[in-house]
Amino acid sequence: MADQRISPARATARKPIPWGTLVIYAVLILGLLQALFPLFWMLSASLMSLTEVTSGYLLPGEMRFNNYAEAWQKAQFAQFMWNSVRITVITLVGQMLVCIPAAYAFARMHFFGRNTLFAVMLATLMIPDVATLIPNYLTVIWFGRLSESLLGFGWINNWPSLTIPFMASAFTIFLLRQFFMQIPEDLWDAARIDGAGHLRFLWAVVLPLSRAPIMTSVTFGFIGSWNALLWPLLVTQTDAWRPIGVGLTKFVNSDAPTELHLQMAAAVMMILPILVLYFFTQKSFTQGIASTGLKG
Amino acid sequence: MAARAARPPKTTSRRARLLRENLTAYALISPAMILLFIFGIFPVGFAFFVSLHRWRRFPGDYMGLGNYVRALGDLTYVLFFWLAVGALIYAAVLFWRLLREDNPAERRRAFSAILPGAAAGGAVLTFVGWSAILLPLILNIPQRIRGQERVPGLFVNELFASFQMPQAADAGNLFLALLIAALILIPFWRRLLGGEKWDVHLLYAAGAAVAAVVGVLLMQLTLETISAAVEAARIAGEALPVWSQIILISAGVGLLAAAYGLWTRAGRQDSSDRRTLITALAAVVLLIAGYLLAAQLPTALAAADRNVISGFGITVMFVLGTVPFQLALGLAFGYLLYQNIKAKSLFRVAYFIPYVMPFVATSIVFTLIFGHRPLSIMNQVFTSLGLPLQKWLLEPKGVVELLIPGVPDVLSGPSLALIVIMIYTTWTYIGYDAAVFLAGLGNIPADVYEAARIDGANSWQMFRRITLPLLSPTTFFLTLIAVIGTFQAFTQLWIMRTPAAQSSVDTIGVTIFETINSTDPNMGYGSAMAFVLFGVILILTFVQNRIASRSVFYG
Repeated sequence: MADQRISPARATARKPIPWGTLVIYAVLILGLLQALFPLFWMLSASLMSLTEVTSGYLLPGEMRFNNYAEAWQKAQFAQFMWNSVRITVITLVGQMLVCIPAAYAFARMHFFGRNTLFAVMLATLMIPDVATLIPNYLTVIWFGRLSESLLGFGWINNWPSLTIPFMASAFTIFLLRQFFMQIPEDLWDAARIDGAGHLRFLWAVVLPLSRAPIMTSVTFGFIGSWNALLWPLLVTQTDAWRPIGVGLTKFVNSDAPTELHLQMAAAVMMILPILVLYFFTQKSFTQGIASTGLKG
Repeated sequence: MAARAARPPKTTSRRARLLRENLTAYALISPAMILLFIFGIFPVGFAFFVSLHRWRRFPGDYMGLGNYVRALGDLTYVLFFWLAVGALIYAAVLFWRLLREDNPAERRRAFSAILPGAAAGGAVLTFVGWSAILLPLILNIPQRIRGQERVPGLFVNELFASFQMPQAADAGNLFLALLIAALILIPFWRRLLGGEKWDVHLLYAAGAAVAAVVGVLLMQLTLETISAAVEAARIAGEALPVWSQIILISAGVGLLAAAYGLWTRAGRQDSSDRRTLITALAAVVLLIAGYLLAAQLPTALAAADRNVISGFGITVMFVLGTVPFQLALGLAFGYLLYQNIKAKSLFRVAYFIPYVMPFVATSIVFTLIFGHRPLSIMNQVFTSLGLPLQKWLLEPKGVVELLIPGVPDVLSGPSLALIVIMIYTTWTYIGYDAAVFLAGLGNIPADVYEAARIDGANSWQMFRRITLPLLSPTTFFLTLIAVIGTFQAFTQLWIMRTPAAQSSVDTIGVTIFETINSTDPNMGYGSAMAFVLFGVILILTFVQNRIASRSVFYG
């Protein structure tokens, strides 16, 4: 275990009164407070009455769970949550279908121009989103017109503009490739002797072994998709497909600018799915961060 | 086992197997690569293309560097002049690298790569040119078919018609001709004269050709814009000293780099006399550079867009007020977590939460905690400490101005509203930085500490002399990510900005978004601003890389 690694603090920890260790714990708990206080207060304020929030109470006098029902109604959260769920599911399914094969090819196959293409793919990670925002908006409008004339549905105010541009994620490909490369060569040799090709090997051996990294990329993708604000603001003008981030912003700015307790309840509801997912996947998630150092 | 024995022995040759592996691999990567090209790489060129046009909601006329001049004033000429010179220098460097072979035979082979390289580079260039001609035609299809009866195939017919329009067809034929020439020339040349390093030679030759043409075109564009501006100023009866500006600002930046070079050289001198001398020299050079820039930049930026200038200023303050703090706190917590403590993973999981939470939701919480009401949490804290109440996010005044009333505007510093957003941004990233630092600390071998302890080092010495240097790759990585991310931050600023703060928190990212998400959007101008921001981020990445190559220790 990493905890048993020799670390500089061990020498101080053996002294009779471990002042150093006490200071360390004090600072760490202070850090815990600063990290969690805003979230604690959000939860607390979501159960208060409006006057309690504006008076800056730390704890509600009585728990008003009704705030949640009221906020859910007023913010049309049923619609926005459903939108976000739909967008997230389409994005993630597409992302896995697109990224897993690419990651496999980059990790385990030999083909002409592999290193160049991989470098080009990684280079897209360095291009800031601002530089691609406007052209992508124009591209999406144009594709929307094309699909309107061919398939009968547009892209703006619709799922394709919110999902298709995010299906190829250089970050996910990179993350999965790192894992696929670690799969022992013996497995591939055995599979080849049994007559399996690459596709068969990917489906029958690699995928079952890769639950953890796939779960990590799904978590990253989920957070990114749930968090989206800038791009959905640009490509949606109606509530039909607007995700939860846009819905919450709209609720705070125009629907209930003064009902702070309802704002907090709405914010808690937005956070909840992420929090649950995070607690279930936090181990592989933090390892994913540690091994790549990147978020999606 | 039986199944394997029954299978007939493979007779496919190695060549056929290679071909099949190649085809399968390309089939597997093509969806990802096509999407990444459309939404990740192509947009960079497209953004530049849009920025050269009068492009509001729909594509309009070509207007050269007009959008850039509107954003940056006369500084545009300096920047584009150097962009063109840079491309030409890069072409020369590639050419020099191509012919650097020691062996005369190898040099002859390298020299022979010029023709196929030029053909390949020409194919790339004509392809770009063809796309640039096709783009407005294709993008205009929705306008062309507006009002016509909706026939299913109309759009596609128009799409094909665009390819056949004379100007597009000519460019397309030129591209095809060069592509075929390259495809015929390269295998022939490779067999006759190629040698072992044929691919490197070809890449250098093609790269040099592309860079040279791009440099010449950019230079032509810059010179045309400059002469038009000088002409317009002459007619208006004003003097526009573009060339003296270019020379003086370039000299200023060059001296700045020279001062940095001298300063790092001073640190490496052995004798203290020489160190003092060189440091003094660096100071003098720095003063001259500072004088030149301070005298020239305000006039060069006189005609620039106020919103752009203040946007960049606010962005720089935002980055400077966020990145160092988040890294320092992240390192502190990461280092403490690395100690031999209990409940380590509990702390790590908890610290990480702010980073995972949606920015939209947590920004709203901070808006309330830093509320302007006298009883908001932060104002209660201030009251209990005996400090005056603040308007926080509604305060457009700079913090220095709040502390010392009456200071000049230049010195007033970031507004209190921006400070609150800085605190929020730092809060979201501390746990992330701590987690990455913790991973980096885990990679430092324990025996280094053991050896230092035997030598009698105390814990501060070990931190300063072992941990920090061995952690420098992690620090460098986090700095890079933080600077790039903070430069284009949007969500928290968009949510926490208020009319009362009077655009004192409008970073360049917010300014760009305002330009394109209004009732009268201006895509051309927004793209120009985005492209300038892209350039700034690229330059910063480059500078950070240069500094890191000297100070990062990859043990």
